[in-house]
Amino acid sequence: MKRVLYKVPLLMYLLLCSSWALAQFTVHGKVTSTDGEPLIGATVLLKGTQLGTVTDLDGTFTLEVPTDRGTLVISYTGYETREIEISPQNKEIEVILQFASEALSEVVVVDVGYGTARKEALTGAVTQIRAEKLEQVPFSSFEQTLQGNIAGLQAVMGNGQPGANVSIRIRGQGSISASSEPLYVIDGVPVVSGNLTVNAETSNPLASLNPNDIESVSVLKDAAATAIYGSRGANGVILITTKSGKAGKPKIDVRTMYGFNDWAIPKSKRLRGLSALEYADLYIEGYVNRGRTVEEAIQLFNNDFPDPITGLPAVDITPDGQGGWTLGEVRVDTRWVDEISRIGATQSIDMSVSGGNDLMRYYASGSYFYQQAPIIYSDLERYSSRLNADISPSDRLTITNNFNLSRTQQHGMNDATRWANPMYNSYLLPPTVPIYDAEGNFYAGHRTIMGANNPVGSLSGDDEQTWTQWRIMDNISASYELLKNLAFKSAWSFDFINYQEFYYRNPRYGDGRNVGGLATETQRNILTWIGTQTLRYEFALGGKHHYDLLAGYEATKTSMRTVYAYGQNFPSPQLRLLASASSPQETFSSLSEYAFESMFFRANYNYDYKYYLSASVRRDGSSRFGINNRYGTFWSIGASWRVDQESFLSDSELITALKLRASYGVSGNAGIGNYVHLRTISYSGIDYLSQPGGAPTQIGNSDLTWEKSKSYNIGLDFTILNSLSGTVEYFNRLSDDLLLNVPVSRTTGFRSITKNFGSMRNQGVELTLDYSIVDRPGLRWSIGGNITFLKNRITRLDKPFTADTHDSKRREEGRDYESYYLFDWAGVDPDTGAPLWYTDSTRTETTSNIAEAQRFFTGQTATPKFFGGFNTNFNWKGLSIDAQFTTSWDNWIYDATAWVIQGDGRFTPRSQTNLVLRRWRQPGDMTDVPKFAWGNTSGSNQRGSTRWLHDGTHIRLRNLTIAWRLSQDMLAHIGGVRSARVYLRGTNLWTWTREKDLYLDPETNFSGIVNSPVPNMKTISFGLDLGF
Amino acid sequence: MMRYIFTLSRYALLPIVFLLTNSCGKDFLDLKPYESLAVEEATKTLDDLDVLLRGVYDQYQNSDYYGRYFILVPDVMSDDVKQNASANRAKEWAEYNGNALDFIPEEIWTEVYEAINRANTVINANIAVPPTAETRKNQIVGEALALRALSHFDLVRIYAQHYGYTDDNSHLGIPYVKEFDQNAEPARMSVREVYDNILADLDEAIRLMSDEFDANRMNKIAAQAILARVYLYMSDWQNAANMATQVIESGVVSLTPTEAYVDAWRSGTPPDGIFSIAFDDIDNNGSNALGRMYIVEGYGDYLPALDLVNLIDSSDVRIQLFKNTGPGGLFGDLRVDKFPSVIGDDDIPVVRLSEIYLIRAEARAMLGDEDGARADVNVIRLRANPNATPITSSGQQLLDDIEREKRIELMFEGHRLWELMRKKRGVYRNDCTSVICEIPYPNDRFILPIPQAEIDANRNMVQNPGY
Repeated sequence: MKRVLYKVPLLMYLLLCSSWALAQFTVHGKVTSTDGEPLIGATVLLKGTQLGTVTDLDGTFTLEVPTDRGTLVISYTGYETREIEISPQNKEIEVILQFASEALSEVVVVDVGYGTARKEALTGAVTQIRAEKLEQVPFSSFEQTLQGNIAGLQAVMGNGQPGANVSIRIRGQGSISASSEPLYVIDGVPVVSGNLTVNAETSNPLASLNPNDIESVSVLKDAAATAIYGSRGANGVILITTKSGKAGKPKIDVRTMYGFNDWAIPKSKRLRGLSALEYADLYIEGYVNRGRTVEEAIQLFNNDFPDPITGLPAVDITPDGQGGWTLGEVRVDTRWVDEISRIGATQSIDMSVSGGNDLMRYYASGSYFYQQAPIIYSDLERYSSRLNADISPSDRLTITNNFNLSRTQQHGMNDATRWANPMYNSYLLPPTVPIYDAEGNFYAGHRTIMGANNPVGSLSGDDEQTWTQWRIMDNISASYELLKNLAFKSAWSFDFINYQEFYYRNPRYGDGRNVGGLATETQRNILTWIGTQTLRYEFALGGKHHYDLLAGYEATKTSMRTVYAYGQNFPSPQLRLLASASSPQETFSSLSEYAFESMFFRANYNYDYKYYLSASVRRDGSSRFGINNRYGTFWSIGASWRVDQESFLSDSELITALKLRASYGVSGNAGIGNYVHLRTISYSGIDYLSQPGGAPTQIGNSDLTWEKSKSYNIGLDFTILNSLSGTVEYFNRLSDDLLLNVPVSRTTGFRSITKNFGSMRNQGVELTLDYSIVDRPGLRWSIGGNITFLKNRITRLDKPFTADTHDSKRREEGRDYESYYLFDWAGVDPDTGAPLWYTDSTRTETTSNIAEAQRFFTGQTATPKFFGGFNTNFNWKGLSIDAQFTTSWDNWIYDATAWVIQGDGRFTPRSQTNLVLRRWRQPGDMTDVPKFAWGNTSGSNQRGSTRWLHDGTHIRLRNLTIAWRLSQDMLAHIGGVRSARVYLRGTNLWTWTREKDLYLDPETNFSGIVNSPVPNMKTISFGLDLGF
Repeated sequence: MMRYIFTLSRYALLPIVFLLTNSCGKDFLDLKPYESLAVEEATKTLDDLDVLLRGVYDQYQNSDYYGRYFILVPDVMSDDVKQNASANRAKEWAEYNGNALDFIPEEIWTEVYEAINRANTVINANIAVPPTAETRKNQIVGEALALRALSHFDLVRIYAQHYGYTDDNSHLGIPYVKEFDQNAEPARMSVREVYDNILADLDEAIRLMSDEFDANRMNKIAAQAILARVYLYMSDWQNAANMATQVIESGVVSLTPTEAYVDAWRSGTPPDGIFSIAFDDIDNNGSNALGRMYIVEGYGDYLPALDLVNLIDSSDVRIQLFKNTGPGGLFGDLRVDKFPSVIGDDDIPVVRLSEIYLIRAEARAMLGDEDGARADVNVIRLRANPNATPITSSGQQLLDDIEREKRIELMFEGHRLWELMRKKRGVYRNDCTSVICEIPYPNDRFILPIPQAEIDANRNMVQNPGY
C-alpha cells in the first residue's frame, strides 16, 4: 500500500515532466524478473536527469529521451538496480532484474509478526528464506527445507515416514519438561503444530501446507524479535507468509515433479538380514555353545523351520560326526529387509493462478503431492487448495481472505521394539521363515516364535494403518486507514483439523492373532479461533525522527475432542470396520481446551535511518496456569546502528554495509499440558468390576506460571567490497523458572510435580557468510554458508534424574541436557568371547559381569558442538547449479533397538543383523561382537551401554539441483509461454560420516535416540515448471 | 507535536471500543477439565468414596503390581521358575544382576505407593455421615485400611529383609505412609515399626468391616487371612493359628472340591478364593498379563522348573496346571498353565483358603500340635489328590512335608522366595537355565534395590546394602 501510494505522485511527476521534454529519441523496453515475470511499475530513469517512466502491466515501457546516448537506471523494490547503456543500436532493450540477494539488499521486507519491517531496520535476529528455496522440494513439509539454511536453527525428522513430524530447535533446547518447539504462525495466525497422533507414530499438521504456496518464511530468533509473541516466543517463532496476488494480468504457473526415493544410507553401509545359510550356521552354533549336541540342534531347527511346500527342512543340515556340521540344500531363503524395501516414488503437480487489479488481487492454487517411503506401504498423499484474495473497495480499506483446504493421508507402521514394527522384525525374523504358505497365503505357521509376524503380508494389505488429516484454515481481516499511515486492522482466523486414525490387525498372525483380528478407529477434531485487533501508526517528526507504533489485543482458544473405539473378533478379513466386530468393544472420548488472552505494544524509532531503537511489551494470560500467577508480562528492547550511513563510511568502497545490533528481552513458554496446575481426581481408564473408579492423578500447583527465556543478542551485519556479506551473532539465552516436572518421592504416590524451577542456558555464536565470486550479466557464481556453535548447560537442577530415554541419559546440573550416562563397553575378551565393560569412570579395570560395572557420564552428548550448512550457486545464462551441504559435529547417537537385533543370541531363535557375522568364535579372535549362544546369559546385550553409541558427525549433500531456464528468445518461439524451467534434483545424495561404518542415518531426532524408524530418504527428482 | 498527540488520542478511542467488544469475560481463562474433578469436588459423599475405593483396586490390577511383576519377580528369583531362552522381562532379577536403575524395582515401588496414596485418599476423606450410613462408611474405610496394610506388607517383603533377619528387627524397612504430603521425603522405618503399623491397620480394618463378602474385594475374612499370614511371617505361631482358625471357622469361604479345582483356574476364578484381583474381557492387562509371561501365545518368557514339577504326583490334579506344548523351546516342553487366558483376564489370587490351612498347619506344628498340623496339611493334600497317602510324619519331616505341600499349592502365586527367606534358606536351582544357580542365605540380593529415582528425589532415603 505504502509503496503504491509513494509511486503515484512519482508517476504523476514523471509523466508531467517527460511531456515537457523535447522528444528526439525513443527507447522501448521490457523489464522482467529472472523467472520471466514482467515487473509492473518498475522505475526507468535516465541517469543524471529527472526523465523517466514506470513500466506498465506487461512490464513494458516507452521513454523519449533528448539524445541517443545515455544510461538508463532501472530499479524495482526487492530487485537489484541495473544500468543499461542506450544507443541507436540499442533502443529496444530487454532488462532482467535479479532478485536482490537478501543479505546484500537494503530493501528486503521481512515479516516480523503483526506487520513487516525493512531488513535494515531490524534490531533483532531475524532470518528469512524465500519462495524459490521452498518450491518444488521433494519434502512433504516445508520445515525440512529449513535445515542448514538458517543459522541457529536445527530441523530434524526422526522418522522417514512421509509426513512425519519435524522437530525444530532454534538456538538449542530451551526447556526440560515443557515444549522446546517454536511457535508457528501462518499469515499472522498461530497454528496447531506438533505431533497429532493418538496411536500412530507421527503425523505433522504442517504437512497440510503446500510448500509451493509459501512466499517467505521468517525465523525470529532473539527476544527483540520474539517478545511480541510474549508467552509463546521463548523457543523462537517461525512466520509463514503465503503468496498473494499482484495487480496485473493473470499469471498461471504449472509445476510438475517426479522422483525416486531410496534409503539415504547406502546399501553398502546399512544393516542387512542374514541369508538362510548364515542363519542356519548361527542357529546350530548357538545351540552348541549352549551345550546341546549338533544332532539335537538340527532336530530343533527342522522342527522350527519346515518348508511349507515340501515339508522338508528349510535348509538341509547334516552333522559331520566330529562336532561340526555341513549345510546342504536351501529351500527357504527370505531376505525380509529387502522384501519390505522398495524404490518409492515422489510425485507432485501444482497449479496456481494469480493476478488482479487495483480493486482486487488474487492467488489461487491447487496441488497434489504423493510420496512413498523406500519401505513398502509407507506413504503420504496430499491434496490442497488455496485462495488468497485482497479486495480494496477504497484507498483506505483492504479486506483480505486467505482460505486453505487440504487433505493429507498417510499409510505407515509402528516403530520401536514392537513386533508390529517391520523395520525391527524384518531383522529378527529368520530367513528360513517363508513369506507364503503352501496355499499362497502369507505365512503364519511360526506362531510359537516371534508372534507369527509377517511384515511383508502385514504391509501388503493384510493389516492396515491409515491416518488422515483434513484441515481448513481461514483468515479474514480488514484493514482501514483511519488517517494517513494510521491503520486499524481486525483479523479473525479459524483453523480446523479433523484427524482420523484407522488401525487393523488381521486374525491370522501378528497382534490380532489371539483375538480374531482387531481394529481401532479414532477421530480427533481440533478447532482454534483467534481474534486479533491492531492499530499501527507510522509517522515522522521533524524529518529525521521516524516512528512506527503498534498496539494490539488478541484472544485465542483451542479445543481438542477425541473419540476412540476398539473392537475385535471379525467375521472376515475383508470386513474391517467396527460395525463387523463382535464383543468386546471399547469406546473412549475426551475433550481438552486452552485459551490465551493478550495485549501488546511495539515501538520502533529511528533517527535519520542511522540509529534504531525498538521496544515491545506483551501481557499474556493463559488458562494453563494457576489462578495465582495466570498473567505474565514479557518485553524486549533492541538497538542498532547503521555505521555505513555515517559520513566516514558513506564513501567507503571497502565497507559497503555495516550494522551493529544488540538486544535483550524476556519471552515466555507455556508449552505444557492444559490442566497441569489443578489438583485433580481423574476417572479416565480407572475402573473395577465394570464400575467407575477414581484416583488422584495430579498434584497440581496453583502458583504455576510462565517459563521465562531471558536472552541477549549481539549482532553484526556487514558487506565488504560489495561481494562478501555476512552476519555474526552472539546469543546467550537463559531459560529460567523452567516448567519442570520436579521429581518427588514416589512414596507420595506421584512421580513428579510441575513447578517453576531450575534453569538452563544456551549460548553460542552464529556465523553466516555469502560471497559473490563472479557477478556479471549472464554469469553469476556465489558461495555461502552458516555455522552455529552451541553450548547447552543445565544451570540449576536440585535433584538429578534419569531421563526416559531408553536407559541412556541422566539430567544433572552443570551438564549438557543430552548427556549420555552409560555402561562403558570395553570390547570382547579375545580368550573367551565374553563381553567386557569398564568397572567405573576411571576406565582402568574391566569386568565381564555387568553387576560389577557402573554407569557414568561418558562425556558424549546428543547435542552437536556445531552445525550448519554451506551452499554454492552457479548461474550461466539459463543454466544453474545449486548445491547445499548440511553438517553436524560431535552429536552422538544411540541405537535403542540394537540390544535385541544385535543381541548375541539373547532371544532364541531370533535372527540377527549381518554384524553377527564377525562374532567371536575361537580363542584369539579379535572382534567387537561377543560369542553367540542361544539364550545368551553373558549380558553382552545390556541396554544403556556405549556398545550402542555412535558418532553422528557427518556432512551431507542435502541438495544438488541442475536447472535450465529457457531464454526469452526461445520462449518467444514457443509462444504463449512466459517462463519455462526444467531441472534435475538430488536430495541426500551423498553422506560422509566420521564413523566409517556407521549403519544408522546420522540425522536423528534431538535426543539422538534411534528406535528403528522408517529410514530417511535419498531422492532423485526431475521437474518442469511452466509459466503462462 | 501537539497535533500528533491530539490525533493519537482521538483514534485511541477506537481500539478501546474494540478491546471492549473483543475482550472476553473474566472466566475466559478459567477452563476446567472435562475428565477430572478438583479434589474437593470429588470427595463429598459416600458414593464418591466408593468410586475412589475402586481406584485402589484398579491400581492393584496394575501390571507392575498384582497384575504381573509383583507376583512374577519373586517367583523368577526362586527355584520354581526357570528362564526360557528368549526371556527378557525381569531377567536381571532371575539372574541376580539387576541394579537400582532398572524399571522393575522402580515401577513396583512407584505403583504400590500409588495404591497406598489412593487408599489414603479414601481413609482421610473424613466425610460426615448420618448414623444410618455409618456401616457403609466403616466398610469403605475398613477396606481401604486393609488394602493400605497389605500394600505396605507387600513392599516390606520385596524391598526389605524378612522379619527376623535381625534379632530386634531394627533392620531397614520402608516408609509407612498414612497421609499425602507432596513435600514428604520420608526415611525408612525399621521392619519392626512397619509390622507394628501393618498389625494396627489390619486390626482396625477388621473392626470396621462388616460381614458382607465379595471375593473380588477386600473383606473382613480376607483381612483376617492376611493377618494370619503376617503373624506367620513374624513367627507368632499362636496368633497365626488363632487367626487361621477364625477364617476357617467363619465358613464364609469353603475349599473348592477336587473335581472343580483345575476348572476353577481354567475359568480364571482361583479356587478357594478369599480375595482375588478381578480381570475381565475388557478390563485386563492384555499382553502384559501375568499368565502371558508363561503361555506360548504370550511372551512365554518363563517355564516351570523341574525342581517343582517333579514334586507333584501324576495323579495330583495340580499336575494339570502344566501343559506340554511339544518340542520347540530350548529348555523343555512344559509350560505353566495356571493363568491360561490368552487375553489375560484370569483373576489373580491375593489370598486363598488353602493357604490358611497350611498356615495353621505350620503354626500348629511349631506349637507342638502335630495332630492338628497333619490334619490341616492333609486337607489340602488329599483335596488335590484323593488317592495320595496322608502325611503321617512328625518333627522336621512334618515341617518339610507342609512346606512341600505349600510350595505346590501356591506355586506361581509369588510366595516361594519369601517362604525360603523367612526360614533363612537360600535358593538352590537344580533345573537351572540362569547364569546363577545357587544363591545362599543370607543374601543382599534377595530383595530389590530402592529405585534410583527415589534415592534422587528423597534425601532421607537409604539404599539397600549390596546395591
